[in-house]
Amino acid sequence: MAMIEVENLTRKYRDRVAIDALNFKIEEGDIVGFLGPNGAGKSTTMKILTGFMPPTSGKARVAGFDLFEHPLEAKRRIGYLPETPPLYTELTVHGYLKFVAELKGVPGSKIKSEIERVATGTGIVPELGRLTGVLSKGYRQRVGIAQAMLGDPALLILDEPTEGLDPRQRKEVLELIKSLAGKHTVVLSTHILSEVKAICQKVLIIHRGKIVADDTMAAITGGKETGLEDKFIQLTAE
Amino acid sequence: MRTIFAILKKELTSHLTTLWAWVVFTVMALLISIFFVQSIGMFSQVQDAARSDPGGWSALPADLQMYRNLTDGVMLPLWNVVLVVTLFVAPFLSMRLFAEERSKKTLELLLTVPIRPVEIVIGKYLGGLMVFILTLSVTLVFPVILSLIGNSESGSALEWRTVGLGYLSMLLWGGALVAIGMFVSSMTESQMVAAFVTFAIGLAWMILPSMGSKLGEPVRSALDYLAVDRQLQYLVKGVLDLKPIVFFGSVVAFFVLLTHRSVEAQRWT
Repeated sequence: MAMIEVENLTRKYRDRVAIDALNFKIEEGDIVGFLGPNGAGKSTTMKILTGFMPPTSGKARVAGFDLFEHPLEAKRRIGYLPETPPLYTELTVHGYLKFVAELKGVPGSKIKSEIERVATGTGIVPELGRLTGVLSKGYRQRVGIAQAMLGDPALLILDEPTEGLDPRQRKEVLELIKSLAGKHTVVLSTHILSEVKAICQKVLIIHRGKIVADDTMAAITGGKETGLEDKFIQLTAE
Repeated sequence: MRTIFAILKKELTSHLTTLWAWVVFTVMALLISIFFVQSIGMFSQVQDAARSDPGGWSALPADLQMYRNLTDGVMLPLWNVVLVVTLFVAPFLSMRLFAEERSKKTLELLLTVPIRPVEIVIGKYLGGLMVFILTLSVTLVFPVILSLIGNSESGSALEWRTVGLGYLSMLLWGGALVAIGMFVSSMTESQMVAAFVTFAIGLAWMILPSMGSKLGEPVRSALDYLAVDRQLQYLVKGVLDLKPIVFFGSVVAFFVLLTHRSVEAQRWT
């Protein structure tokens, strides 16, 4: 079954076209790398897919629910890490996760175990008592991912989850995402190709608001070591 | 319901971690105590004068008759001060509500979890209102002091019903300002701009009647109807008047609705 279905999705900011009639499908359980140069329309697409922003025209469905006709049903199935982790700096990590769990409608009796689960998964258990405002960038990112995982949504949409992390933190976050495979569908955007190569089975490349590649990793690289880089540079050339 | 409560609770916790919360509590307590002490001084002077005059209370001019009891002599003048202080503090209580969400990019979280925007707006308004109630309750110490040390021939030193309706009046005025402030806050990323604009609107509202007196009908009657002190004139004196409750209630509902529209509209830009 398709987890995400996008039909003719278009978004304009005044007269600038950010994304232009996108069409793609993402199957359940896939880990998909969403690639593109800066400003290609990655964040815009993700903001629409999470129901934050309505499209100018076109349709987007998550697990069969149209994001703007049945927003609550669709949003219940989505965990989202925006470009900037949406932290309330005055709350502790635990207080913050509890607040998000309540917003997501996690039953009161399950909140405690749910926080434990996501905190263990993202390796932030020792930080639960600290204020989110004093965390390092790597930990903020992890709290952001933990927040997205709360309520066990079927689909995780992660906008540049490794941005600003040091190499070791990158590796840890990637391993964390990889461990979600099978149980979750994951869409992650990045412009670091090696990360995509390491964990994604499918690749979507967007350039100037249009999808220029939508295929499996194997088909895109053609088995070559530098296949993804070559293809990316070729497709996103002027 | 549960999400509204979650947002209310979070607003309250967050607010109490800000410096502004405690500055506002202090300003409220400080200003009201100064006027309280002054009022008490005046009250005891007039009481002494009435006792030493052979004619008693009937010998004193009409404008001093209010000092016959603590409720009219001390609490009533205090409300005028609370009304003005509220105009100054309410903008600082409401400025955070949406401006901070926008500047910290957390609005993106609120709008992507499975809740309706109207729940966010109501939760936030109730959070702001609770903060105002907390600020207002700082002043509860004054009627409590009066009832402990004061005495009267009729038994209770204070008419609690009148005091209660006085508090309700302040709550209506403060609640309306918080709603206006929330709306202004939803349109800017800057908390300072939000506070300033809210204050300007509140100030204009407060001085409306004095501007209207020079104008002809029907503008004058209309402005007169909108005037804060005119709306509250009976309620503060202890008459259960429904008109101001409906009036301020409508103002709150109107601005809550506008905030909802404004939050929705921002998703399109």
